[in-house]
Amino acid sequence: MSEFAIRFDHVSKSYQLRRGVGQMLARLANRVPADKRNIFWALDDVNFVIEPGETVGLIGPNGAGKSTILKILARVTVPTKGSYRVKGQVGALIEVGAGFHHDLSGRENVYLNGAIMGMRKREIDAKFDQIVAFSEVEKFLDTPLKYYSTGMMVRLGFAVAAHINPDILLVDEVLAVGDTAFQAKCLNKIAELKEQQKTIVLVSHTMPSILQHSSRVLWIDHGTVQGFGDPDETVEGYLRTIHTHGASADALDQRETTDSPIHVTSVTVRNVRGEVHECLNYGEPANIDIEYAVTRPVDDPVVSVTFHDARDFPLGGLTSRLDGLRLNGAQGSGKVRLTLSPVLFTRGSYGVTVAILDNRIQRYLDMRPRAVTFMVDGPSVASREISGHFVFPHRWEAVQHAPGGTEQAIAP
Amino acid sequence: MEHLRELAENLHLMLSFAKRDIRAKYKQTLFGVAWAVMQPLTLMVVFTFVFSMFARIPSDGLPYPIFSYSVLIFWICFASCISQGTVAMTANANLVRKIYFPRETLLLAVMVSALVDLAIAAVILAGMYAYYGIGISWTALWVVPLLALQLLIVLTVILFTSAVQVYFRDVGHALPLLMQVWMFATPIAYPLSSVPAWLRPYYMLNPMVGIIDGYRNALLHGTAPNLRYLGAAFAVTFVLLVAAYFNFKRAERTFADVI
Repeated sequence: MSEFAIRFDHVSKSYQLRRGVGQMLARLANRVPADKRNIFWALDDVNFVIEPGETVGLIGPNGAGKSTILKILARVTVPTKGSYRVKGQVGALIEVGAGFHHDLSGRENVYLNGAIMGMRKREIDAKFDQIVAFSEVEKFLDTPLKYYSTGMMVRLGFAVAAHINPDILLVDEVLAVGDTAFQAKCLNKIAELKEQQKTIVLVSHTMPSILQHSSRVLWIDHGTVQGFGDPDETVEGYLRTIHTHGASADALDQRETTDSPIHVTSVTVRNVRGEVHECLNYGEPANIDIEYAVTRPVDDPVVSVTFHDARDFPLGGLTSRLDGLRLNGAQGSGKVRLTLSPVLFTRGSYGVTVAILDNRIQRYLDMRPRAVTFMVDGPSVASREISGHFVFPHRWEAVQHAPGGTEQAIAP
Repeated sequence: MEHLRELAENLHLMLSFAKRDIRAKYKQTLFGVAWAVMQPLTLMVVFTFVFSMFARIPSDGLPYPIFSYSVLIFWICFASCISQGTVAMTANANLVRKIYFPRETLLLAVMVSALVDLAIAAVILAGMYAYYGIGISWTALWVVPLLALQLLIVLTVILFTSAVQVYFRDVGHALPLLMQVWMFATPIAYPLSSVPAWLRPYYMLNPMVGIIDGYRNALLHGTAPNLRYLGAAFAVTFVLLVAAYFNFKRAERTFADVI
């Protein structure tokens, strides 16, 4: 049998949706509640093995069962059915600072929170200076916590949690805290733990950070394992399921804006060969075709296109006005084409929101949120060679100071 | 056994919680720990007026203030343990939901913090001995086993009530009321001797009767408690405590799901 750090065997977990004295008495009398509708299965026969030293990213939509898995690992709850084993001490970076007391000073809270996370007083004494330096709140150590800013509190919480020394670390969406400099510090800490061969379970909705850190990705949905393996493939599989429209959206439904003089009637994504395709290649041109219908004349309408990441976070957008394109707003129908030359998005899934605005670009005449979605195949942030959602046009070169004081590029 | 080992490993956590409770209680107050004596002192003054001066309740020939204060401090320790212990899980819901640790540490911390208040309030009692010129007898040492028994009873009760409170908040609502009734059903403001004989058998069912009366006898009358009664009380409490502990540890596993 292979080695493991975490092992789930047919783990299921149910929650009772409604509670009452009746259900309580029934349970006391050892009768299984007859009402099945009252039961919600958060996990349903989940099996997986995580090896020591792995960093596993845990992904899935809200309510998929990710938190339940973390709760079981953190021992705050137990499975209803099945068994699990965890080898080694578990430390949880779940909602940092859960154990803070706002009337106590920063110093007192470091000791309190450390103790809650399983550190002895001597250990905290030894690491105290490191923790304080990490948190960057030296000056406020003897100030009651309630006077801290949210950022300071979060930093102090993470600092304590980062200095516990467990074999298995659970990290829940904490990489999104603090400013950029502090995030870099946190990422370094995680990298350091990885080098120390700690097992890390990372939960995040931010696919780039999942891809950057995980050696494998576990995808959970509806309480069952949907995939477990290569980060890129698993994340892609997951992103594919949250697609709702695909590459083409015809006859978009006409609610809300029926009284509007102009409507978007279809949005289509085409690849370099002009085919309607939901997967585009990085570095190749692609078109977004937008068809619209005019019911009443509109003076100089403007089309806007906005791109979103898989979580609907807007990445950037532009309008037809930017390039001085004039649309036919008089009568009938029209079509505009936005050409990406080329596609510079990194590997992942993207959504497109299309809108038509009035001539002052102030009032929406029609708006199609996430009218289409598409995937991009290309450089992945998992390589750690790039980050974010774009690779903009660029060139690298090594520049050397020449003796004469002028700079000179070295020919490759 | 496994549970006890784990509890022993987490004693430092229990002390951290206790420190937190004590520190937080008196932070941002002008009078600080003086509040620990305010409650028994105020009750003593009120009782002295109402029961001694107006209602002329007998006090076994002792000055009424020391007669009541000597047991009030123990009762207040008992009452605050129960009221704060019962809500210990729900008051720390944030922690219980997120982090694992033996939950009973929260209960023990409440008890430690109440004991510290008791120790502070006891200083005033020493002053009253001096003021009234009452000598203290060696029987005062009986306070130690009596207090131990009281703490075991407290722990038994809050192991049960705090677990139920997680499921049904009714317990927390009912408790302040119950504690008030309980106080008057215990010989604090009046001597045990003033309870009519026909009522005694029922009255004595209240476990706090023997303990409170025991404190007063040991501290003021110089008499030892009834050993048979004390032994039996320990035995019964211990059995109930074990049962309450097992029940608590079983319920604890799913606290995070329902809290």
